[in-house]
Amino acid sequence: MARQRRHVGYGLPLTLAIGLHLGLLVISVIRFPSADSEPPNQAIVQATLVRAETATDQAQQAQQQARAAAKAEQQRKETQAAEQAEAEAEAERQRRQEQEQAAQREQAREAAEQAEAEAERRAEQAAQQEAERQRQAEAEAEAERERQAEEEARKQREAEAEAERERQAEEEARKQREAEAEAERKRQAEEEARKQREAEAEAERKRQAEEEARQRAAEASQSSLDQAIAGESEAVANAQQAEEAANGFINLVRQAVEQAWAIPPNVSDGAAAEISVRLGPSGELFAASIGRSSGNSAFDRSALDAVETAAPFAELRELPASVQREYREFTLRFRPGDIR
Amino acid sequence: MNDAMSIPHLIINASGVVQAVMLLLLLGSLLSWVVIFQRSFVMRRARKAHRDFEDRFWSGVDLNELYRETPAEQETLGAEHIFRAGFREFNRLMPKTQSPQAILDGVQRSMRVAWSREEDRLNLHLVFLATVASSSPYIGLFGTVWGIMGSFQSLSMAQQATLGTVAPWIAEALIATAMGLFAAIPAVIFYNRLSSESSRLLGKYEDFAEEFHSILHRNLQGRGDNAAG
Repeated sequence: MARQRRHVGYGLPLTLAIGLHLGLLVISVIRFPSADSEPPNQAIVQATLVRAETATDQAQQAQQQARAAAKAEQQRKETQAAEQAEAEAEAERQRRQEQEQAAQREQAREAAEQAEAEAERRAEQAAQQEAERQRQAEAEAEAERERQAEEEARKQREAEAEAERERQAEEEARKQREAEAEAERKRQAEEEARKQREAEAEAERKRQAEEEARQRAAEASQSSLDQAIAGESEAVANAQQAEEAANGFINLVRQAVEQAWAIPPNVSDGAAAEISVRLGPSGELFAASIGRSSGNSAFDRSALDAVETAAPFAELRELPASVQREYREFTLRFRPGDIR
Repeated sequence: MNDAMSIPHLIINASGVVQAVMLLLLLGSLLSWVVIFQRSFVMRRARKAHRDFEDRFWSGVDLNELYRETPAEQETLGAEHIFRAGFREFNRLMPKTQSPQAILDGVQRSMRVAWSREEDRLNLHLVFLATVASSSPYIGLFGTVWGIMGSFQSLSMAQQATLGTVAPWIAEALIATAMGLFAAIPAVIFYNRLSSESSRLLGKYEDFAEEFHSILHRNLQGRGDNAAG
């Protein structure tokens, strides 16, 4: 007979048990998060403000939007026009500047030509004078020589030496004059260059000044645009604030009505009644009437009673004056929630 | 579903007492499953061994041979244990007394002892299973009550009590009950199953003991007749 080991150890059972628990844990961790979700947090009693915005309000909003759009359009056009004008002015200025520069260049060239011509004329004059003087000197020397030749041959060498000296001196003087003319020419050219530089610097200064002026103008227009935008956003913020206050008012009304509401027994879940409410300027109840009946008169009456009990809604006076009128007439919808 | 309502998050955020209860229940569940597995294996082997032994016993083999097959010092289980105890007693008493009644009384006593040991062996730890099955729902309930108590105490300090503020507390407290039931339900089921199986096996052992006893009685009857004749 085959002897089998009859004792069962605890190792395998322990392993199996731990494995089982771990498996269950893993399954619960993995699958539970995606299982059932919480039911949405519902208000116990749902009295909903149906019509808070009147038709005039909607029209006003539409008008406001249209106005804002028109304003934006206008602003855009203005800025476009301003930019265009600026661009034209810029072009004009550039054109003028170019003309000026061209004129200046022309003047400079003319001046340079004149100076050159002057220098040439002077050089010519100097040369002519020189030639005349030479001729005179030669004639004198001729006469002398003739006279001397007739008198004595002794003085001839002296006269010749004298003439030679004179000629040398003459030569020197001529050289000196030439050098002077050259220096004069140089100075004039320098003068010319300096003038041109000055003119250029002047043009540069002018251009910079114009640039600055243009920038200033652009900045001024930009800041005015910013101011306009800021004003616009402020208006929007004011409107939002008013809306928030109005929402707070709606919630207050809803809470007050909910608290005052005693739901009659045996009302079906789907029952819904609408009560039209009109308020006085300080929040007192002018009229509350059944806008749409639920079919259950007890339910309708309970809703009406709730509104009458909850009135007056003095919080209306805390609203901004601009929206007060729009919240003086609204409709409340009554629905029993999941409370029984 | 938000993370705050997931089960691990709830367990970690529970109060100390509730956590201790949960730990206790987890331990109970773990141990009860160990017992369940171990007992299941034991029962299956005992069933198989009993079937094998009965086949062998009723195959017409000589009882002396069957007895000598197994060394005396080796521990045997189940019906074989009963057979060996009875046969050993029978062999010991045979040379000492002539009275068949005395021999049969001795054999029956020793077989009853062996049967009682077998019963003890088979029912080992089943009481633990019964304890877990009956007590863990109460332990879990205690954890839940404690947790809800804590939740209401902390709720009294809150400004307004909505379902959202109460829900995590109650969910956390209810986990203890869930764990108690989680430990108790398998324990109950397997306790019933295992104890019924063990009693069925013990019944079979008892039947076998009676049959063996009748065989010995038949043999002794013949001997008594021979001695008388």
